[in-house]
Amino acid sequence: MKSKLVGEIAGNYSTVVLMFGFAIVAMAPALLISRMISPRKKSNPVKFLPMECGQVPSGEGRTHFMMQYYPYILMFVIFDVVAIFLYAWGSALLELPKSATLPILGFLAIMFGAMSFALYQSGRRRIW
Amino acid sequence: MSVIAPNFKLSEFIKSLIDDIVWTVLIMSLIGIPAIMMILFYVPMPVIDGELLTPFLAFTYLADPSRTLPIVQAFMTTDMFKIMAFPGFGFAALLAAGTIFVERKMLAKLQLRVGPFYCGKVEGILQLMGDGLKLISKEIIIPAKADKPIFWAAPVLFVASAAAFVALIPVAPGWVVADVDMGLLAVFAVIGFFPIVTILSAWSANSKFPFIGGIRALFQMVSFEIPLILSLLGVVMVTGTLNLSEIAASQSSFPWILFLPVGAIVFFITMLAELERIPFDLPEAESEIVAGWLTELSGMMYGLVQLGTYLKLYAFAALFVVLFLGGWNGPMVVPPFPMEIVTEGIELGPVTAKIAGLPLFDQEMLNGTFWFILKTVGVIFFILLPRGVFPRIRVDMLLNLGWHKLIGLAFVNIFIALGLVYAGVLGPGGLQ
Repeated sequence: MKSKLVGEIAGNYSTVVLMFGFAIVAMAPALLISRMISPRKKSNPVKFLPMECGQVPSGEGRTHFMMQYYPYILMFVIFDVVAIFLYAWGSALLELPKSATLPILGFLAIMFGAMSFALYQSGRRRIW
Repeated sequence: MSVIAPNFKLSEFIKSLIDDIVWTVLIMSLIGIPAIMMILFYVPMPVIDGELLTPFLAFTYLADPSRTLPIVQAFMTTDMFKIMAFPGFGFAALLAAGTIFVERKMLAKLQLRVGPFYCGKVEGILQLMGDGLKLISKEIIIPAKADKPIFWAAPVLFVASAAAFVALIPVAPGWVVADVDMGLLAVFAVIGFFPIVTILSAWSANSKFPFIGGIRALFQMVSFEIPLILSLLGVVMVTGTLNLSEIAASQSSFPWILFLPVGAIVFFITMLAELERIPFDLPEAESEIVAGWLTELSGMMYGLVQLGTYLKLYAFAALFVVLFLGGWNGPMVVPPFPMEIVTEGIELGPVTAKIAGLPLFDQEMLNGTFWFILKTVGVIFFILLPRGVFPRIRVDMLLNLGWHKLIGLAFVNIFIALGLVYAGVLGPGGLQ
């Protein structure tokens, strides 16, 4: 495995950023052209109201909205990181000795325990 | 023919044509040519026939095909060409446009309709262009009290995120925009941008339906991100690399879907959920919440979001091909380039012209691209198919599926991969 400078590795990703920038540069004119050639009539203030199926909207648009699935967000914060940690082991599996898998199995057991407990708690709706 | 406008006069038509030509020539010679020269002065010039090309020479060469081709060839190796045209934006946008047309026709056939028919005479093939013209000439209505800068920026950012995803996909050996060592992790990073853009757009619109749709999109992407990440771990374990080009190259004898079918199925289902396609199209459920997070987007903003969606669809299908179906690998079907054209030149009647730099793309690249496109189109077909078949599922069923079933299946896949490696079937000393 040849060692590389950190800047060299980061420099490889510059094309991803370039592509991101190219899409912005190529697509923003579409909005500008559309703004130039399309009609703009301010005939009626009702036209600019938020869409609520023809009714005049009442209340704020950015309200608190109860989804009742908040525990899944909490679980995501934890288990997404755990899943990425597994990649550190998985990508080096072929070079590691087989005994290195045992701690990972222990780690997975703890993770399964935690996950099943969290899933059980998230099923109890009335505590949320 | 009475379809021509009644006030049509041939003389005025010819006059307008001549006017157009004069204006084009005038603008070209006053602005276009100086602009090309200015750009050429800033582009690093290639060395051709042992001498460094100057901007003046390059400009003169453009008129001569035998001298243009080496310039084109030199241009094709630059990052700019890769980003703009071949493995990058142009190629992906072309496939995305094809996908939209095929989706509309196929869905119509599944539902015993005709689909787009009139625009473009032949089976409505120009329907997409007509839709684009319609969208670009429609008024953009921004709801009152919306957060205007973010609301304007969100569709552009959505397309840009999809383009950054496309940048990581290897199409043929060596033909990839960003060949990075941590390609798969970069893919996960880019996928993480989409819910952020969605929720930004939904929040900035100051409207209730987009907000509900945005929250749903967030939940959906959050609960399917973990099975997505875990289902690809099996492939990484048996290949030992995160570089997408190396993963594709490692499948020269057999695709990983033969050994890891469970992971492929889990990845396919999570892919449908990340793409917000039926049966997981809760964020834009048109029969419940108008159009979900797209409700307030009008005109070209909606068009850009659609373009971004289909670029993302192409990128996910291509990722499936690269990881599970062998990427560009396939039997050689492209015939070799006739060598006598390179050595002796092309005969056109009495003239024999020897054109330098003729095989613009080598045989391997053309073959790889052919197989890659064939497989990608197949996967795209299977992504489109559920839309004509399945109903939409409820949000609690969605979360239940993502958290209880798919994560469990993803771990089954990891243990299958672990067993295959430790039993010596795959990895060093195994098959391949």
